[in-house]
Amino acid sequence: MSSAVTNNNRRLETFSYDDQSVRWFVIATVIWGAVAMLLGVTIAFQLAEYRLNLDLPWTTFGRLRPLHTNAAIFAFCGNAIFAGIYYSTQRLLKARMYSDVLSKIHFFGWQLIIILAAITLPLGMTTGKEYAELEWPIDLLITGIWVAFAVNFFGTIAKRREKHIYVAIWFYIATIITVAVLHIINNLEIPVSMTKSYSLYSGVQDALVQWWYGHNAVAFFLTTPFLGLMYYFIPKAANRPVYSYRLSIIHFWSLVFIYIWAGPHHLLYTTLPEWAQTLGMVFSVALWMPSWGGMINGLMTLRGVWHKVRTEPTLRFMATALTFYGMATFEGPLLSIKSINAIAHFTDWIPGHVHSGTIGWNYMLTAGILFYLVEKLWNTKLYSKSLANIQFWTATIGLVLYIVSMLVAGITQSLMWSAIDETGRLVYPNFIETVVRIVPMYWVRAVGGTLVFISFLIMVYNLYKTAKQGSIGKEKVYEAYALDTHIDESDDSAHRKLEGMPTLFAVLSAIAILIGSAIEIVPSILSSQFITKFEEVAPYRPLELLGRDIYVREGCYLCHSQTVRTLPHEVLRYGKASQAAEFVYDYPFQWGSKRTGPDLARVGGKYSNLWHYRHFAKPQEVTAGSIMPRYGWLYEGKIGYDMLVKKMTAMQTLGVSYTNDEIENSVADAKEQAMDIIEDLGRNGGVTEKMKDKEVIALIAYIQRLGIDYGSIPDEEPEEDQEGEVE
Amino acid sequence: MKQAALSQFDILWLPLTGLIIFVTCFSIYTYFTYKKSNKPFYDKAASIPLKED
Repeated sequence: MSSAVTNNNRRLETFSYDDQSVRWFVIATVIWGAVAMLLGVTIAFQLAEYRLNLDLPWTTFGRLRPLHTNAAIFAFCGNAIFAGIYYSTQRLLKARMYSDVLSKIHFFGWQLIIILAAITLPLGMTTGKEYAELEWPIDLLITGIWVAFAVNFFGTIAKRREKHIYVAIWFYIATIITVAVLHIINNLEIPVSMTKSYSLYSGVQDALVQWWYGHNAVAFFLTTPFLGLMYYFIPKAANRPVYSYRLSIIHFWSLVFIYIWAGPHHLLYTTLPEWAQTLGMVFSVALWMPSWGGMINGLMTLRGVWHKVRTEPTLRFMATALTFYGMATFEGPLLSIKSINAIAHFTDWIPGHVHSGTIGWNYMLTAGILFYLVEKLWNTKLYSKSLANIQFWTATIGLVLYIVSMLVAGITQSLMWSAIDETGRLVYPNFIETVVRIVPMYWVRAVGGTLVFISFLIMVYNLYKTAKQGSIGKEKVYEAYALDTHIDESDDSAHRKLEGMPTLFAVLSAIAILIGSAIEIVPSILSSQFITKFEEVAPYRPLELLGRDIYVREGCYLCHSQTVRTLPHEVLRYGKASQAAEFVYDYPFQWGSKRTGPDLARVGGKYSNLWHYRHFAKPQEVTAGSIMPRYGWLYEGKIGYDMLVKKMTAMQTLGVSYTNDEIENSVADAKEQAMDIIEDLGRNGGVTEKMKDKEVIALIAYIQRLGIDYGSIPDEEPEEDQEGEVE
Repeated sequence: MKQAALSQFDILWLPLTGLIIFVTCFSIYTYFTYKKSNKPFYDKAASIPLKED
């Protein structure tokens, strides 16, 4: 940067933009996007055909699914966000990024995080919390890199030459602040080793914190930054100002304030307090309004240039993205309504909804942005519009197949799960009947996903050829006047002044998200002092604790829930509805979000040890038609007794009532329980004693404990209403 | 029992406070945003991305 001219008390300065960082992020977006989609297609086929799990631990669905979601959200969308933010922020603020060094740290640090995720997740190193599976050392790294990004971003704002902070920047500010808050609070955990930790929260508290995080990861990683990008790139591509700048202000504040409240809609009909469920539902429905405000603002920006949507790939992808955004943000509030949620939750309808957002909104918008960026950054024109058209239709058809198949599968599942005949019995008492019925839809989904993946590869080729025919050239030099800090703002409105004060703006954004967060989470955390625990519900025995870690490691929670909702058919199928006090020793909670297999909250004692022993080895030989992977390695791997004392000590620190004696004798106790199981297996199935220290024994111990304690409490007799008493 | 404790926990004022804060803020920024005198400013702001790169 240099100052050349002084005019009207303002220096005319020359400067350049850091476009090299943007190019790197663009390339990373393309690479990780392909990886994420390949993983998605892989696990889609695995659900249709279990043999594709390959009987290997690191290629099994339970380990690849977290890798797919993390790759799609943080690797693909993450790099796309950074590419767009680095490009647009510099131009909107008329300033080069604050520090080239920080930009490099940000880029390479983020790629390192992705690589570490790609290594650790298939190895089963996971916290067991959806979309936050990465273990604590990587969490710390994420925090450090996010801080580097934040310093770089806010530093750029500080040295800007444009007084007014454009609406896109507000969305970036809200993203940076909220993601930091979400990441830190949800990932508070006690390390046991470099590769293992336990969540600081348990049971219902963990559930609330997790879905506060989970929902807002969608909100503040997949929505607000992309809306910011939308507010920059659509006007640029259409060469028209945004339809209503005023609407964008209303859109921003309403979205930021309301979104944070909506998390509990993931926990309807569970043991979460009724008021929290209702609050989550009401705010989720209210969210429809700002979401559609944004969509309408984006689409109306295209007024007058709709003919270009037919011919320009950039605009076509962006317009389609907005349409899918509108559909997904209509469906989301709809699914949050309790009566509809009772039908949809835990079914395949939900992945269908999620992918209408991630593919329809995030992928489509990213495609439009990438076409725009590659042309600008490599100083050329798009290699082939025909290829872009083929990509568009392949992606759209693939996505429609995905959404429709999952809608059909979800409604089919739900109707079968809840079907009760005139005698009050379940029409489909065997869960497997409902699985077999929807497998054809899994095939359709896999085909749809493959088409989306192919469309992405077409885009990669098109972008590669575009970049190859262009050239980077030298950094361009731009001119702009230095920021005038002496403008008289006495006549400006409060919001106009605010838009020129980034620090205050950031603080107000933080307050907006913290209000909703505090109101939802704080009462739940403080409530522990009011809790009367069930005496019958005891902490896990040492072997069960080790078994639970194996359950988490294998990602069982991705297909099996552990909570019986207060719905008649669930009580009929699984047993008593779950109570919060059942889960006080569950660090982390394992309620799950999907029932590809049955709920396991009451599975303890339902089947024999031998049934489980055979089931983990070859599920299809025990349950015909099962799509569960085979877990042969559990019969080879040894139980990790060496970590037991550390794990129990960590649990004690978290508040689990283990005595020091229990911790000291934990290994002996675990081995004794293992021997009991082996003796039973030997008596009934001829299993030899040499299996006593294999992981499968610990997993059986854990599974057989589920629901036993609470199940031992006799059902309360309904109290008769006293005469004259109004309920 | 935890759920009972949470259900009976007298916290009605908490979500109500949040709602009041939201409605108040919403009303204030909507008023200032749609104030007629601000229109030229927002028209100018809307054009920021269209300035030459």
